[in-house]
Amino acid sequence: MKKAIDFIKPAVILLLVAAVVALVLGLVDMMTRDRIADIAEQTKTNAMKAVLDAESYEQIDLGAEAPADIDEAYAAEGGGWVVQVTETGSQGAITMMVGVDADLACTGISVTTSSETAGLGAIASQASAAGDAFRGQFVGQSGTVAVTKDGGQINALTGATITSRAISTGVTSALALCETLG
Amino acid sequence: MNAKKQLTEGLITNNPVLVQQIGLCATMAISTTLFNGIGMGLSVLIILTCCNVVVSAIRKIIPGQVRLAIFVVVIAGFVTIVDLLLQAFIPALSSALGVFIPLIVVNCIIIGRAEAFSSKEGVFLSFRDGVFQGLGYTCVLVLMCLVRELLGSGTIGGGILNGATSFFTLDGTGAGIRIIPEGFGAGALVLPFGGFLTLGCLMAVMQYALRKSNEKKARKEKEVKE
Amino acid sequence: MFASIVTISLAAILTNNFIFSQFLGICPFLGVSNKMSTATGMSVAVIFVMTMASAICWVINEFLLIPFGVAGFMQTVAYILVIAVLVQFVEMFLKKAIPALYSAMGIFLPLITTNCAVLGVVLLNTQNNYNFLESLVDGFTGGLGFTVAIVLFASVRERLEFADYPKAFEGFAICLVSAALFALAFMGFSGMRIPV
Repeated sequence: MKKAIDFIKPAVILLLVAAVVALVLGLVDMMTRDRIADIAEQTKTNAMKAVLDAESYEQIDLGAEAPADIDEAYAAEGGGWVVQVTETGSQGAITMMVGVDADLACTGISVTTSSETAGLGAIASQASAAGDAFRGQFVGQSGTVAVTKDGGQINALTGATITSRAISTGVTSALALCETLG
Repeated sequence: MNAKKQLTEGLITNNPVLVQQIGLCATMAISTTLFNGIGMGLSVLIILTCCNVVVSAIRKIIPGQVRLAIFVVVIAGFVTIVDLLLQAFIPALSSALGVFIPLIVVNCIIIGRAEAFSSKEGVFLSFRDGVFQGLGYTCVLVLMCLVRELLGSGTIGGGILNGATSFFTLDGTGAGIRIIPEGFGAGALVLPFGGFLTLGCLMAVMQYALRKSNEKKARKEKEVKE
Repeated sequence: MFASIVTISLAAILTNNFIFSQFLGICPFLGVSNKMSTATGMSVAVIFVMTMASAICWVINEFLLIPFGVAGFMQTVAYILVIAVLVQFVEMFLKKAIPALYSAMGIFLPLITTNCAVLGVVLLNTQNNYNFLESLVDGFTGGLGFTVAIVLFASVRERLEFADYPKAFEGFAICLVSAALFALAFMGFSGMRIPV
């Protein structure tokens, strides 16, 4: 009999601790959930407004045959599109918003999430002069966009060719998608 | 055990990173800007203190066989709370630290202190231990960040100083104060390479200093005896 | 499908090696790389646990956490519990079934619970939205990447014993500096791209 108690007591205590933890986490989640969702929504709208300013955006149903790297596409009120693309950078996924106008030229890009190396690839997503200069190069581009090393027009960030390449690929995919939409 | 002794242990003689040599992963991975360093350091400090207090409070009812599982659940709980709060209130920090916030669960510092200290000592002592060990961790992180950021990217205070809207900012737009002109930094220091190298050198400096002070102490004792 | 699996494997072993580019699993890496035999023992245990954990955690996330709507806040707790329980089971099973293997990797098993590469690979699988097969491959090749790193490093450390370096660098310090050179070498892989 004693053996059974020896076995059950630790299990019950572990279960109790886990239940208390789950309960507390549930409460914290309830308090923070709406705020986290709001922040995500806000970040997204800000990024969309930054690349192509419009009153409202309407999501386009891409169907099943959309290219794998395209996440979402929106038609902006007053012409043009905003496309969310995810490419693989040097340290993992880079998600960006690409604005495209009715003439199929890029109006701007904004990197929403990335985990690139600080000081190198991370400049692509920073609100700094160097970051603005890098992203500014994409404005007005159309067709196939590539870094100068690959025979294109974009000057890659110093020490971050892979990041720059991934972003160029993303912009190219977005432009190609908009061609099929337009 | 008095507070002063605990403080010197946490900061210097028993520093979690430089002397106990645990919790190295995150130390090297995120120490690229001051923002990351302070954010990670304070997160660990808070989680470590909370876990120490809880583990110490329930130490009498924890059965030996499942104590590690219970520590891990308690730690994971606090880590998730901090993770959610960061996502809600300092989203820039949360996205900069990424997967290294949930990974605090397996940071050996926290489970190490639970096993070695708070599961044996009283609540108040454990609380103080958490704060001081956390401070020791934060200091090393900040030091690593300062070295790597200054020599690597040429700035100080990246992420929190010199922001887009205000000088002191928490939205992650801070460009830092530029000390070395752009393009002249040793860029490799912000890469993984620099993480290993900087920590290795810091450890060597610490070992040198500790040995010197021990030798001095030994010499003094000898003189007293003579 | 095939392309994505090749990409994941290559990234896990070379370009995004857990140790040299993602800083995951440094503690066991430094702790057991002082001898070749312990290094290989640890590697086998890590490959095994990482593969199993990737598979089980994927199932738990997909069929338990997401349907109940608690994925956001129970993920870390659930994953670490799975890993802890898994390690315990593997230990018990090996002790009874394959004592030879148990004596070879037994002492490393408890250490794996706090190996951040294991929790790391599981969290990254979820973050990258990998499907079951991709998670499995990522877990297995992540373990292989760990093996490559630790075995290479163990052979260097065996030579370090005879090297003449400043006394202050004794212990982990000189190891970290050597690991830095490894990280630099592994950076050479980062330009690699798979032609699709």
